[in-house]
Amino acid sequence: MSRNTAIEAGLGPAATENSVAAGPLRAPRWRSQKLRKRAELTILLAPGLILFVGFVFIPILIAAYYSFFNWSGYGPLNDPIGFKNYSYAFKDPAFIHAIEHTLILTVASVVIQGPLSIAIALLLNRRFFGRGFLRTVIFAPYVLPPAVTGVMWSLILQPSGFMDQVLKSLGLGGLVQLWLANVHLTLWTNFVVLTWQYIGFGIVLLLAGLQGVPNELKEAAAIDGASPWQVTRRITLPLLAPTIRIWGFITVVGSLQIFDIVWILTAGGPAGSSSTISTYMYSEGVQATDFGFAAAVAVILFVFCFVFAIFYQRYALSRDTRGALTRAVG
Amino acid sequence: MRSSRALAAVAIAVTTVTAAAACSSGGSSSTGSSTTGGSSTSSSGKVTLTWWNNATNQPLLGVYQNAIKGFEASHPNITITDVPIQNELLQDTKIPLALEGNNPPNIYQQWGGGVLAQQVTSGKVDDITSDVSSWISGISGASGWTADGKQYGVPVDLHVVGFWYRKDIFAKVGISVPTTLAQLESDDAKLRAAGYAPIAVGSKDRWPDAFWWEYFALRDCPQSTITSAIKSQSFGDSCFTQASTDMAAFLKTNPFQTGFLGTSSQQGAGSSAGLVASGKAAMELQGDWDPSVMEGVSTNKDLSTELGWFPFPQTPGSAGSQTAVLGGGDGFSCTGTQAQAQACAEFLQYLDSPTVQDQIVGPGASGEPVISSAVSAITLPATQTAAAYFKTASYEQLYFDTALETKPGQNLDTAIANYFSSPTSSLAAAIANSPTTP
Amino acid sequence: MAAVTRTEASGYAGRYAQRRWTVIPGTYLVAIVAVGLTVVPLLLVVVNGFRTNGDINNSAAGLPHPWVAGNYTSILKSASFWEFLGNSALISVVATTLTLVLGSMAALALSQYEFRGREFCYTVFVSGLLFPIGVGALPLYLLLQRLGLLDNQFGVAIPEAAFGLPITMIILRPFLRAIPGELREAALVDGASRFRFFVQILLPLAKPALVTVGLLAFVTSWNQYFVPLLVLQTSSHFTLPLGTYTFQTQYSQNVAGIFAFTAMSMLPALGAFVFAERYLVAGAAGAVKG
Repeated sequence: MSRNTAIEAGLGPAATENSVAAGPLRAPRWRSQKLRKRAELTILLAPGLILFVGFVFIPILIAAYYSFFNWSGYGPLNDPIGFKNYSYAFKDPAFIHAIEHTLILTVASVVIQGPLSIAIALLLNRRFFGRGFLRTVIFAPYVLPPAVTGVMWSLILQPSGFMDQVLKSLGLGGLVQLWLANVHLTLWTNFVVLTWQYIGFGIVLLLAGLQGVPNELKEAAAIDGASPWQVTRRITLPLLAPTIRIWGFITVVGSLQIFDIVWILTAGGPAGSSSTISTYMYSEGVQATDFGFAAAVAVILFVFCFVFAIFYQRYALSRDTRGALTRAVG
Repeated sequence: MRSSRALAAVAIAVTTVTAAAACSSGGSSSTGSSTTGGSSTSSSGKVTLTWWNNATNQPLLGVYQNAIKGFEASHPNITITDVPIQNELLQDTKIPLALEGNNPPNIYQQWGGGVLAQQVTSGKVDDITSDVSSWISGISGASGWTADGKQYGVPVDLHVVGFWYRKDIFAKVGISVPTTLAQLESDDAKLRAAGYAPIAVGSKDRWPDAFWWEYFALRDCPQSTITSAIKSQSFGDSCFTQASTDMAAFLKTNPFQTGFLGTSSQQGAGSSAGLVASGKAAMELQGDWDPSVMEGVSTNKDLSTELGWFPFPQTPGSAGSQTAVLGGGDGFSCTGTQAQAQACAEFLQYLDSPTVQDQIVGPGASGEPVISSAVSAITLPATQTAAAYFKTASYEQLYFDTALETKPGQNLDTAIANYFSSPTSSLAAAIANSPTTP
Repeated sequence: MAAVTRTEASGYAGRYAQRRWTVIPGTYLVAIVAVGLTVVPLLLVVVNGFRTNGDINNSAAGLPHPWVAGNYTSILKSASFWEFLGNSALISVVATTLTLVLGSMAALALSQYEFRGREFCYTVFVSGLLFPIGVGALPLYLLLQRLGLLDNQFGVAIPEAAFGLPITMIILRPFLRAIPGELREAALVDGASRFRFFVQILLPLAKPALVTVGLLAFVTSWNQYFVPLLVLQTSSHFTLPLGTYTFQTQYSQNVAGIFAFTAMSMLPALGAFVFAERYLVAGAAGAVKG
């Protein structure tokens, strides 16, 4: 077998080395190599896995177990009700609205924040004066705790607050709205604030990915007469694609679960006009001391995310395992 | 191949161990020296108690700390540790978690009503009926802290909901304190014509909306109907429909500030309290904590003289009591061993004694006292008015969302808040359906 | 369109000549707008810390009237601020270190080795990201109580590290996998052990990803209020986010104090970013040749 296929089959260097060596030494040496490999694997993987399973996975499983009970959080679990919490959720129009809003926010996050983040990351990848400062500034909102972001934007967006004053002074007084009270606007107000807070993280992630795009390629293309846009489109973006796919995954999962900012800005209201699945879970489950119900909604959210993750893994992320462009080029 | 089996074995082992650890809560009695919640009783008769309350800032923080000092001086074998925690965190997260764990705090903040009853089902709240029997009858409102006829907590201050208004604005516009609903509506019209928001409401938080509906219910329904409705968690009686209709009619008169749906009740100058404090709105229907809130969100130094209080207007000819008030209070419950419960009860008795009550409602500005002698210690004129009226009220009804169990209470608040947002929906039907749980 | 010039690069990026593209003016405009939108609310936080509550209440926008340093100075003078800072620092450093070390080890395992159940393990990690943490609060609380980790900084750091593992895996594993197998082959032929290959070649190549992951873990831990809320009781153990609650009375908020406090709390996290930023773009590109 060739070296490459041996490596790709993951048999490790041992197989390739041994395809060269011959003779009676092969069997015992091969077995000890395998043992060693297993030991290395265990040492590497076990600590993280144990930590994760113990402190995250198990609590999740236990919480999912609660979802089959009618339980206020106090006292023993003595009222099993099967799937009733789940059916109640799906029959509740407020929950359906929450799902709609969450999906809108998620799609908007990908479709609007995506191109914006990529564009800004490309820009910030160039060398120019003040680049480091700009990067710090763009990232800074991410560093703010969501609670404070919420308080700050409440101040900005309240009637006759900062936003309204600025609009009026720019002569755009006609654009003034009840940003936080108008039921048709509240979801989009939340979206703008969410974008403000989280876009910095996406840009930093994409910047990290851009470091893997070799400059020689871009230079070579330029020498061949490609315009900057062509270089971007045909070289940079495809090489950035794996990172973009990671970004997409994190953004979708994060958007599906969004809670903090929405809760502080509008508490999912007024009248549920900006509710998300998580705010619904909090107001109908936690605040209402119906922990069984909260757990059921959490499980439903988990299933949504999981189904998305499976499809995404299959069709998007799996492209990475078939080898990035650099491998073929090399 | 084999490596993954090894991993699986590890995972299963971890799973079993941690599952066993997590699931067997409360079964074993973990002995005292844990750093959480409550503490221990040592063999020498010394008792140490932890006290979870929401007095994170002055002046109440100082009042509570002085109370501890005074109590420990006269009870040398009891030590109390003050643990103040921010109010929402305490109520929503810390207390429920602690009651589920092994070592809940020995004295913790308790708002009474149906929530208390729910907490009692955890088995961790001590029944202190016998410990307080000698003095509890002198405490107003103590029945709000009972469940199944047993005393599970004791109030240390009471609150009443009414109208807090700007006397100076009323004088400027030339209106007087309304005694009937019709007068309130005409006052509102004059205020709006003069450029003020007549009434501020913090609709974003939902419970201020509920105050409105609940007062209409108090006016339209006899006390017995209300009590049985709360007990059965069902508001189907026709008098509640009447209350909904009456409130709907009132809302149509456009009494609130612009953008009231997004206004919070207590956060910053844009809150409903802030609007009254800064003079943009003329009045607000709120509990007697409102002056403290206003002080925190405004620079208006003259507030104490400008603020006045009047009760919810009367609706002559309706079936309910014209002088009933809506309100609640702060109190504490006890957990732990019998010795700790006894010490806790003694401390609560101390908190309800005249010296401490004077401090709580005077410098502490925390509503009304639970003993009538301390009413004279109230400093703010508006609150004095409220306290005086409170004495003459026919009865006090605990806020519905506290009297009910948590979920029906929250559902009721939501149904009312939704109506404030879209007045075309059927409020009566929403309310009749609201307390139902799956 | 754009003029293309060859210039010799200087500084940390250049073992090879770097093209400097003439930037289209439109992009600068976009940059300015983006920065403006980003910065103004941040400035509001900082500037509002210099105002009194009454000032803020009177007009939401506007410069301090008068400028009061009192909010900031009282924070700097208060012992509890430094306590909170110390706690946050300890917890965040421990959590970040744990996440980075355990996360890169696990990512190495899942990217450099083939074994049955590998994708299953990866899915287990990823699934942790898909479940809202809040609901797992109670089981986690009970577990920590059992382990005696309540009211303890490590009781905060360890769960935070565990929560940070999923996103670490999601970012690190693809990065590690994208590094060509030929490199490993070459290293091993040269006689290096797998361990040396990992530590001396692979991880340095993944530096941008590692820095990103570390930064993420640090900032997430720094701003976490949920786990500290669950675990910590004694106020002297509190972290900075919990500390902002000291500015909330039973009924209202000292908004100016909150802004000043927040502005100060942001500094270490921003400092971490500035420090890490230079590594985000350091010359990983040069080594990844075919």
